[in-house]
Amino acid sequence: MPKSFSSELAFRSRRRRLLWLLAVLLVGVSWSTARRAVAGEHPADFRMVVHKGNPMSSASREFLTDVFLKRVSQWNGGETIHPVDQRPNSSVRKSFSENVLKRSVAAVRSYWQQRIFSGRDVPPPELDSDDAVVSYVGSHPGAVGYVSVGAKLGEARELTID
Amino acid sequence: MRRTGLLLFSCSSLLWASAAGAQDAPSSVQIHGFVSQGFIKTTENNYLAQSKRGSFDFSEVGINFTDALTDKFRVGIQLFAHELGPLGKYAPQFDWYYLDYRFTDWFGVRGGRTKLPWGLYNEANDVDAGRVPILLPQSLYPVANREFLFAQNGGEIYGDISLAAAGLLEYRAYGGTIFLNGVDTSAQLKDYGAPYMFGGRLMWLPFEGLQLGGSAQKLRFDIDYVPTPDQLAVYQMQGLVPANFSGTVSVKIPIALWVTSIEYQAHDLLLAAEYGRSYIEEKINLLIPTPSMVNQGGYGMASYRVNSWFTPGVYYSALFPDIHHSQHNRASYQHDVALTLRYDLTANWLVKLEQHYMHGTAGLTTALNDDKPLNTLTKDWGVFLVKTTAYF
Repeated sequence: MPKSFSSELAFRSRRRRLLWLLAVLLVGVSWSTARRAVAGEHPADFRMVVHKGNPMSSASREFLTDVFLKRVSQWNGGETIHPVDQRPNSSVRKSFSENVLKRSVAAVRSYWQQRIFSGRDVPPPELDSDDAVVSYVGSHPGAVGYVSVGAKLGEARELTID
Repeated sequence: MRRTGLLLFSCSSLLWASAAGAQDAPSSVQIHGFVSQGFIKTTENNYLAQSKRGSFDFSEVGINFTDALTDKFRVGIQLFAHELGPLGKYAPQFDWYYLDYRFTDWFGVRGGRTKLPWGLYNEANDVDAGRVPILLPQSLYPVANREFLFAQNGGEIYGDISLAAAGLLEYRAYGGTIFLNGVDTSAQLKDYGAPYMFGGRLMWLPFEGLQLGGSAQKLRFDIDYVPTPDQLAVYQMQGLVPANFSGTVSVKIPIALWVTSIEYQAHDLLLAAEYGRSYIEEKINLLIPTPSMVNQGGYGMASYRVNSWFTPGVYYSALFPDIHHSQHNRASYQHDVALTLRYDLTANWLVKLEQHYMHGTAGLTTALNDDKPLNTLTKDWGVFLVKTTAYF
């Protein structure tokens, strides 16, 4: 058998084994992801907050996703939206990210790294605490953020998710 | 010395900006940066660098500033330097700079030097922190093309159109030209450039996590050179020189490219696949037929974030540089199976290990391989890469 032919056969055999391995991995990972999505690994222990003057009382999860990924920049009334995040290691950020954005905090950070270094956009500012978010939202009419369930809302008010 | 100075400057900038970024109050000006150092080693064949013996000529550094002057008007600039084997050599360049006015969500205008929206990842080709693989699939994102197909100087319109229950449509359309920083010049070379480039991308996001669509691009490279007397004598002997020959050989290379893309992202899982072709002609003012080639490539990729610090990924990529004139030898294809392990050591520092199993020699260059023809290089070979990146 010519050497090149046997080399080709060996390559195809290796490739077939790798593709099988890949398929098995994909099935396992997809099952794990689906199970996590259905089970709701991270309970929604956060509240969305907006400025008291904001006329909206509720918003869809899809709308909030577009807002925090900066695909949408205006409220229905034309006011510019100013989304504000919390620090990546905070539990409220994790809960918000998994429940609203349907991505892990790390996946969202990757999304923003791509946007930042390709010159497309910059992420929402990240604040240190619920109080900082409430204070920011209370002083910016177009702002929207999220805080822990027990946080005092002050000049902000809750925005429910449809 | 110059490299050391640049790296020291970059590191001090990183530290200074990290400290600045630690302040609580959201600031209008955002500063971000990154520094990467890689190592590449191949079992056979030199790939991207002098990789057979192992090469550290694989590093990048960048810093950018973005400011929202008003709610709708933004400006930004990124300074970038890199080295990848013979490319880059740490020559600092403005990677991108722009003025951006977004009238509404469905219509915005940008002008300046902007990254080209081609496929899923062309704009983020430099962004090591934003992806799992060290090398994106080279069938569609060859790093050696960085100087040509990453950014353009011109204008762009863009927008996100809401389709209500049907999701979102994201469009980008651009036109301008490109600077050819990486072209070797010689006494014979009289002029070169790209008189035009235009294209666009349309992506449909039917629901969060899924996006699918396509990109297309058209451009032309022009090269004028004066042949040496010896070359001219050969052309004349072969009867290639037309009667009205001016003494300058003009080569025009029109290129058309398209790619279709699909990506699905949910929680920690990412799946992506793309397939594309490019059509290249070479029109010369000599009496020879117009050569043309059709390049074809595609890949499938998957990654899964196991926990906050560990993400493995895998892809299979296939490249066929000239499907219509293929000689059916090892230089007419490149099959690449890549496995990556990404470790996020801290929120701003990562390390990646990557192994490629390569079959075929397409995508290699003769210049890095002692001018040997590609079909004489080793057919089955491996690439091992390590890369670390700090970013903020």
